[in-house]
Amino acid sequence: MTAETQTRPVTPPSFPAHRRTDQRLRYARRARRADLMLIAMWTSGAAAAALFLASGGAAQFGSPAEIVTSLGILAGLVGTDFILVMLVLAARIPVVDRTIGHDRAIAVHRRLGKPALYLLLGHGALLLIGYGMSEGIDPIREVGSMLALPDMPLAFLGMGLMIGVVITSLVAVRRKFSYEGWHLIHLLSYVSVAFALPHQLSVGGVLAEGTLQRVYWIALYVVAFGGILTFRFVEPIVSTLRHRMTVAGVSTIAPGVVSIELAGRRLRELGAEGGQFFIWRFWTGRTWWHSHPISLSALPTGSSARITVRDLGAGSARISAVPVGTRVSIEGPYGLFSDVARTSEKLVVVAAGIGVTPIRALLENAEFAPGDATVLLRAGGVEETYHWDEIRALAAARGAHCYMMIGPRATGSRSWMARADADRGVTLQSAFPDLRSSDLYLCGPTSWLDSIEADAQAAGLPAHQIHAERFDW
Amino acid sequence: MRVRAVLGSIFASTAVLVVGWQAGAVVLAPDATAAAQPEAASATSADGTGSSAESSQATAAPESATAPTVAPTAASDSDASAADSSAAAAPSVADGTFTGSTVDTRFGSVQVSVTIAGGAITDVTALKLTDHESRSVQISNRAAPLLREEVLAAQSADVSNVSGATYTTDAYLESLQAALDQAGF
Repeated sequence: MTAETQTRPVTPPSFPAHRRTDQRLRYARRARRADLMLIAMWTSGAAAAALFLASGGAAQFGSPAEIVTSLGILAGLVGTDFILVMLVLAARIPVVDRTIGHDRAIAVHRRLGKPALYLLLGHGALLLIGYGMSEGIDPIREVGSMLALPDMPLAFLGMGLMIGVVITSLVAVRRKFSYEGWHLIHLLSYVSVAFALPHQLSVGGVLAEGTLQRVYWIALYVVAFGGILTFRFVEPIVSTLRHRMTVAGVSTIAPGVVSIELAGRRLRELGAEGGQFFIWRFWTGRTWWHSHPISLSALPTGSSARITVRDLGAGSARISAVPVGTRVSIEGPYGLFSDVARTSEKLVVVAAGIGVTPIRALLENAEFAPGDATVLLRAGGVEETYHWDEIRALAAARGAHCYMMIGPRATGSRSWMARADADRGVTLQSAFPDLRSSDLYLCGPTSWLDSIEADAQAAGLPAHQIHAERFDW
Repeated sequence: MRVRAVLGSIFASTAVLVVGWQAGAVVLAPDATAAAQPEAASATSADGTGSSAESSQATAAPESATAPTVAPTAASDSDASAADSSAAAAPSVADGTFTGSTVDTRFGSVQVSVTIAGGAITDVTALKLTDHESRSVQISNRAAPLLREEVLAAQSADVSNVSGATYTTDAYLESLQAALDQAGF
């Protein structure tokens, strides 16, 4: 598009000795926070059950009908608590992102989805059976008598929406939707959870007016919905308006790969770490409805930032054609693929293909003493050596060793290495003698990354020292 | 680290459940006596002095001593003067205390009696309230005074639901309507 310099000046290392942090101490603190969050998550489930016990639930297991009814109430309370935990995990709350990372938060969110739905379906079914039993009618007829109660039609509707939301998120079903279509359906989960609230407060006896249980429950809702509102909606809008980012230039750095230069105000105050990503939205008529999670390929200066994108997928192809001056809205920075995740003093970085982009930014502000960092760049061919010149210059300026490995993998091999190197007998440990006492940062295509991650695990590297970002676009 | 998180979760969850269980036990204890009261009331309903769950809420109003069936009595309530003035407007309404039907819910049966004086509802007494579970007793005890006030204000069974006590409300109002129908109100 525009004539842009293809390389950026490399920032000199500036880490005076007194600023160096103890990586192990920092990791211990982060691990403690992560443990506390896990404990809080499970305890909130137990607390939901305790609400029932606190309202005299322990005495309500006297007859079969009472047992079924009590289990139904418990399932509803715990299931709803899980749903609220899922909202908190998906809310992109900064402390959650800094502690376990956006990826893991979403992974936990996904794992909770099905159990939560089963609990809620169980809640509905058990209560229809239990109430039916005590009234002497079958569960189907009980539906009619339930619907006659205030707030219950809304609750049935909420349940229907929740079933739809979870079904469209099953892997097999989700593939049939575009991301945007799926996401729109997924947003109905907010409506579903909101629809469920009135019947909990009016029909359910556990949360009756004037009880502490009611106060606690409403507080949970406030935290979950407040988190979503603040960090998914308000914060991105405020950040977008504050930093006013626009496209300053688009340059093709290799066939099918573009760097997008962005201009904005006070960009250092974004607090972005090297290796983090933003979710970008380019406001042109053809691109505004797609948002793209893309890592920074250079740390923001006061007034500029840069991302590098490979043209895969219709959405990505279109953003390579956005005109200069296009307004850009941002959500972020997100992700724990950064120096925040460090656990040890030494650093090993391996990146393949377009996966070099976050590595390029990571090397700018990762803390390490000269000689303590090793970088290995991997490409199938010379045309894939994006930003390698910049990375080599950065490594040289900061005293990091930099190796390059070019060439296709051996056919049929699951090795992450180039064929020639694999044949020579190179291993992860021979390439990185200090591996066991280092943090290993990996970024590249999924299949390649799975292979090198398996190697690292086989070499005995503990999970908390492996930081992987799967990068397929 | 994982071990610490798992052990911490188990410990904290257990602690929360025990606290909840104990809080529940405290709730159960006083309710055991409250639950017994509607029973006593129905057993001695002939005296109609309203020793029901409702009166245990210290909202008991002076009541006329009447038989529970259609038996006109002189209005002895504090509201009597107000009731008298409306008597002329509704001459077809019989004065007295009328007992409504017993309405069964999954939480127990509900029965109320209504006192009519001078063509106006002057009192509503809960004879039986939902009491199957201790929680129901609590809910009933909370809902009954609210419903009584609403009914006295509205002068009909057409009042709004007490949130958190939907079953009690429905049954209470149904029994009340039956009593009002008896009175020709």
